[in-house]
Amino acid sequence: MSATAGLILRVLFLAFLYAFLALAMWMLWRSVVSKQVHQGNLAIPSLLLSSGIGAEPKIQSFAGVEVLIGRSLDCDFILEDSTVSSRHARLFYNLNQWWFEDLKSTNGSYLDGIRVEEPIVVKDNDEFYCGDAIFKIFIKPIEE
Amino acid sequence: MSAKAATRLHSKQPRLLALAALFLFFQTAALSLANGTRIHSETLQLDWLVFVPYFVWLGGILVLHKAVRRKLPNRDPWIFPTFTALVGWGLLSVWRLSPSLGQKQLGWFLVGCALFWLGLNTNRLSRLLKRYKYVWLLIGLLLIGLTFIVGVNPTGAGPRLWLEAFGFYFQPSEPLKLLMIVYLAAFFADQIKPNITLLGSVLPTLIVTATAGFLLIGQRDLGTASLFICLYVLMLTVTTQKRRFLWLIPLAGIVAGLIGYFVFDVVRVRIDIWLDPWAQASGNAYQLVQAQIAIAAGGLAGTGPGLGSPLFIPVAVSDFIFPAVAEETGLLGSSALILLMLILVVRGISIAQSTKTTFGRYLAFGIASYFGLQTFFIVAGNLGLLPLTGVTFPFFSYGGSSLVTNLIAVMLLLKISSELAAEPLPEPVRQPYRWVAAIFLILFILVIAASSWLAIIRQEELLAKPENPRWAVYDRYSPRGRILSQSGEELAITTGEIGSYKREVLIPSLSNTIGYTSGLYGQDGLELSQYQWLRGYSGRSYDTLWKYQMFYNQPPPGVDIKLNINASLQTTADALLGEEKGAVVLLNATTGEIYAMASHPYYDANTLTENWEQLSQDADAPLVNRITQATYPLGTLVNSLGLATYYNWPQSAAGALPVAAGGEDEFCQAASTAYGEELNGYQSGCEAAALALIQNLDPVVFLDQLESFGLFSAPAFSLRTSAPGEKPDPAVIQTKPMSALEIQATPLQMALIAASITNDGLLPSPRLRNTYLAEDGQWTAFREGVFPVRVIESGAMDRLRTSLIGNDEAFWFQSGHAQTRDGKILTWYIGGTTEDWVATPLAIAVAIESNAPDLAQTIGSSLLSLFATE
Repeated sequence: MSATAGLILRVLFLAFLYAFLALAMWMLWRSVVSKQVHQGNLAIPSLLLSSGIGAEPKIQSFAGVEVLIGRSLDCDFILEDSTVSSRHARLFYNLNQWWFEDLKSTNGSYLDGIRVEEPIVVKDNDEFYCGDAIFKIFIKPIEE
Repeated sequence: MSAKAATRLHSKQPRLLALAALFLFFQTAALSLANGTRIHSETLQLDWLVFVPYFVWLGGILVLHKAVRRKLPNRDPWIFPTFTALVGWGLLSVWRLSPSLGQKQLGWFLVGCALFWLGLNTNRLSRLLKRYKYVWLLIGLLLIGLTFIVGVNPTGAGPRLWLEAFGFYFQPSEPLKLLMIVYLAAFFADQIKPNITLLGSVLPTLIVTATAGFLLIGQRDLGTASLFICLYVLMLTVTTQKRRFLWLIPLAGIVAGLIGYFVFDVVRVRIDIWLDPWAQASGNAYQLVQAQIAIAAGGLAGTGPGLGSPLFIPVAVSDFIFPAVAEETGLLGSSALILLMLILVVRGISIAQSTKTTFGRYLAFGIASYFGLQTFFIVAGNLGLLPLTGVTFPFFSYGGSSLVTNLIAVMLLLKISSELAAEPLPEPVRQPYRWVAAIFLILFILVIAASSWLAIIRQEELLAKPENPRWAVYDRYSPRGRILSQSGEELAITTGEIGSYKREVLIPSLSNTIGYTSGLYGQDGLELSQYQWLRGYSGRSYDTLWKYQMFYNQPPPGVDIKLNINASLQTTADALLGEEKGAVVLLNATTGEIYAMASHPYYDANTLTENWEQLSQDADAPLVNRITQATYPLGTLVNSLGLATYYNWPQSAAGALPVAAGGEDEFCQAASTAYGEELNGYQSGCEAAALALIQNLDPVVFLDQLESFGLFSAPAFSLRTSAPGEKPDPAVIQTKPMSALEIQATPLQMALIAASITNDGLLPSPRLRNTYLAEDGQWTAFREGVFPVRVIESGAMDRLRTSLIGNDEAFWFQSGHAQTRDGKILTWYIGGTTEDWVATPLAIAVAIESNAPDLAQTIGSSLLSLFATE
């Protein structure tokens, strides 16, 4: 009796184990298929940032997909100004656009005098204020 | 992925979770029935305790699931269900191997769940991790450093890799793996920039990895050290986008292996057992060999939860849990397990490709690689594909630090995955990720292939290895067949209750022939050679075998076999030999059927365990079956053999048959007084006669004749026989005729030669087995296609019998004696029936390890004549 029940349970165990795998695999297959349709352009337009407009501009170019802006040394683009937070804002590339996002900085970030509350798309020649520090963005278009 | 497609996939998640809960429930239920199944219980006998890990797991998972659903609505839909299945299966497996460790593991699981939950509710977790990367790393390294000072090993021996607090053990190298990944991900996310040279950007990580590596090597935790190196290289590959770094892994592996081989004993031992585990199967490679046998025992569908014997693998619960799972769930189960791991790894890498932040990307990739590498390292080690590294099998291996770390790693992966961007963060070159994913796919397929190789192709071979101790378990749950005498008296039977069956030998003096079966000391005698029959593998229908295998993972009740032994002749032989050391074997000269075989001193198989120590050290070697394993010098038995040669090849002799008399020793004297005939010196074993005879013979012809008699080859027999003696060089016999007396023979070989004398030159094969009880209830003969072989012309044997005829014309015999190496006298007697004998033709050989010619003759003639009255 125990043996028969045990055998049935073992068969059920294997059946449901493989049902799990089959469903997971099917889901993977579906996701691969739908991803292929939506795969976008992978090339990224590179970014040139220039700070301290006027006296001695600091110009830095970036080829990555994320640029962290702030006062602390672990930032990609360092703005040495007491009104800039240690991790003030970031630039990131998404949906074929460069975006600017304020990282809840103390003194806020401004574009054209308007405080940036949520990620916004940036374009060539945009000027941002991070606290009192100002920097300018140049976007180099993708070479065809 | 479009939002719609993503939602559709997300909606399948509860279904996956339900499937995991169901298959684990069935496994738990099957496990709870295992004890009842083993003893063939008629009713449903459930072990309720087994449900404890299941419900604790279920509770923990439900709480986590709720939190995950609320906190991470956009999470990856595979990670959580797959993790759920793996961790549940792991908890159950540990419980099955050791309920007490299973309880502890459950405790750790709950700790892990709490940390998982806490992590989910820490909003800025990834930022905290990134910002304080050096702090985390330092903590990890400090803890490792601490093991140098206050390290312990819970088992009391071996590397001291643990820290102890309040009775709990903690292995810092486990969290260090994760901390290391966090550090590397954070560092690479910040540092890899076009305007910094490659060396400048990787140098700090190289230093940190090397420091951790050396600390671990110093602690002799070489498995974790090699894991670190591989992890580092993989992360370097994707962060620098340079595929060529991948070649560093095999390269470093070979270099480290070579250096380690000559510097570290541990490494040398592990590489040696990897290269040839069977050379040290009972030593260093014991665990590995047992693991391979366990996988073979699982076969395709497994023995069933709780029905296998994975505990034969020492400490299966930690490093060797994969073979333990493979034994009970089979290749189907173990492959599914590897596939579950593969899903986790592939999804991890996939998350890395589609996440929003660089740190998240590298962290996800690092965690996926950590699961993948660790799984491959340990499973490949278990299977013998790689040297053993002693890393843990994620979610399965017993160990709190490892389990908690795994849970946290999964939580991090889930958190990263929920930050998935609608459009993935682009990476200029995606290939390194695909490469790593492809490598893991290939490695895991390799692991499945290697499991199949062990479980299917090599199954039969591995299970038949003497290192496989499962028969000892079968013996307790399934009765062996009885061993009976020719007329049906029980010689050996199985007694006791199912679960504690014992073997009992009813005529203890036959122990050397019947042998023993003991979980401690193995098997011997007929119990070993007739295992296939007694255990029921032979002589049962395929249906019966399949049914027992499938339902109980046991062989069916064994098949009864009848021997040719005649119980009363056997008892007489034992009584006649008494306290003397020696051997008697009586057989049918035509068929080779053995009617009695006594080897003294003997042991009692029923008290083997109690007396093993004494028996195995006894100078009189009671464990040896003297009939087949004692090699005695022929001594003056060469007389019969020489006479036979002379009668067969008279033309090759130097002259006429020398008259055998006039020697100085008592055997020659006895001959002349007792019989007075010229040939009787040969019959009584006169040494002078032997010498004269050998000198008269062509040594080449003489030795060839001995070879035909089978003196230099072991007879095919159902008992272990000693290695046959070497055929001497004829030149030696020529120059030293007396050396012919030192040629070795077993009593069985001499009995067979005696049979050929009785049987007109036809030498039979010895047969101990008579019939077996087939499933239809009929006693059926064993199919044995060995027929008597002509070894000499019948005329020669006819003359020999006449020369050796005794007072009673129905019998022939020759007495002999020899000097053993330690200077003792050995008495021989061979004899048989003549054509005046009306019943079954017989032959006998007696060897006594003292000077007892009268006793030998009494035993020989009594047994021969007794047969007539039987």
